[in-house]
Amino acid sequence: MKTFIKVTEIWIPDKERTQLEFGSGLYGGLHDFKAASEQQQFAYNEGLPGKAWAAGHPIVLTKFEYSYFKRTAAAKKAGLTCGIAIPVFSGDFLMAVVVFLCGDDEEHAGAIEVWCNNPISANTLNVMDGYYGTLQHFEAISRQLNMPKGQGLAGLAWATGMPILIDDISKAATFIRASDAQQAGISMGIGIPVSDTLRQTYIMTFLSAKATPIAKRIQLWIPDRQGKQLICQQGYSKNSNDLAKIFETITVNKGVGAIGRVWLTGMPVISGNHESSNYNPELDNLSSMLALPVIEKGRLKAIVSFLF
Amino acid sequence: MNMLNVLLIESDPDNTLLENSLNSYGFKCLKTQYSPTFLALIKEITPDIIIFNLDTPSKKLLVDLQTLKSQSALPVLMFASDGNVDTINQAIKANVSAYIVDGLEHKRINSIINVAIARFKHQQSLKNALEEACAKLEDRKQIDRAKAILIKTQNFTEDEAYHTLRKLAMDRNITLGEMAKNVIAMSELFK
Repeated sequence: MKTFIKVTEIWIPDKERTQLEFGSGLYGGLHDFKAASEQQQFAYNEGLPGKAWAAGHPIVLTKFEYSYFKRTAAAKKAGLTCGIAIPVFSGDFLMAVVVFLCGDDEEHAGAIEVWCNNPISANTLNVMDGYYGTLQHFEAISRQLNMPKGQGLAGLAWATGMPILIDDISKAATFIRASDAQQAGISMGIGIPVSDTLRQTYIMTFLSAKATPIAKRIQLWIPDRQGKQLICQQGYSKNSNDLAKIFETITVNKGVGAIGRVWLTGMPVISGNHESSNYNPELDNLSSMLALPVIEKGRLKAIVSFLF
Repeated sequence: MNMLNVLLIESDPDNTLLENSLNSYGFKCLKTQYSPTFLALIKEITPDIIIFNLDTPSKKLLVDLQTLKSQSALPVLMFASDGNVDTINQAIKANVSAYIVDGLEHKRINSIINVAIARFKHQQSLKNALEEACAKLEDRKQIDRAKAILIKTQNFTEDEAYHTLRKLAMDRNITLGEMAKNVIAMSELFK
């Protein structure tokens, strides 16, 4: 199964906190690009991770050539054409920068968007940046939208301060672009609040098409009422996966396992097999995972896990 | 009439004794000298048996025979003058089915080849049986590990864990061992 996201990386501040260094990554079979990345470091405001750190909000870079992107030659060779960098902050303190890189295959429908509130109309979100693969029409419509707080995927994520996962999005009454999404083949969407300061709100939305889903499975983990354990609130994949569902019934204690470590440290984590593995639909095998914390005012509100 | 394809590796290209003998028994014989392209040649001509006639096998030849063993196992018969026990042991380890010291006699050739082939087939069946047993044992270990994971994470009894594993495998039409590997891989993600 091809996924929309080809490469996932975590960049973490070094000991002096002046540079970002390689934390971990999922590169599939892109060994040369992996080798080019592992030795890389980014200063504040340098390269895609450094820019996201300096900007304090997610950045989408849709063209590498003649840009600040530092691994252009290796990315071109690997067929990677677009990058999304998401800084993870706890207050003003940068925990890590997560980078997603997407490819330029002929069929790679899907969308990754960054929404931010409009300076004129404070309770409305607009697409600030986005990558839509081959969905040009959907992109044009999305960029014209004014999304009120509490409406649509991004507006709901903003209003609740929580990640929102909508299954069968093309039929969802809450999704403003439902009919356009249906035409574009988008089947699922997740909105994630990534930064909410007094002045600016940033919401990431990942819209997944059946042919090239964002990830093989996405899960939302949230603390229980007592705040003592994490429970899996929702899990979604294109096909039903009984095995994944079994593991979604477990509760996670702080510091225990990959998800528990994200809760304890506030740091994103990549776990599982980092090498490429062929997806076997009969096995429903999921071999690696990125767990991304959603932090608000220094407290963990949820963890979104992308399984590949 | 034998129609087996024989690759004959002669250390002395002028020696035609063994070649003539093989031809007279009806084997289809290709004679050559040992060279660095030995493995590539076997891949190309796919003989039924390889026969060597030499003084002693070189280290490089023994390494090639080890490689051949993992690539495509074939009966290997070696006529040699070196009767040193170490050499014989090394040759047998390199998968030589029969090592004959100074025993090149026309009237015995056919039976020696038949014994070498029979021995090779027997070794192969033992090897296959061993591999199958090892795979079953490995499956058993993986199933036990997967059951332990389900018992720990789901508070299942051993029976419940086994039945869950079996249902997951049946739904996917795969073996219990394969399903167990998948359960283990999934649990690794959350480790």
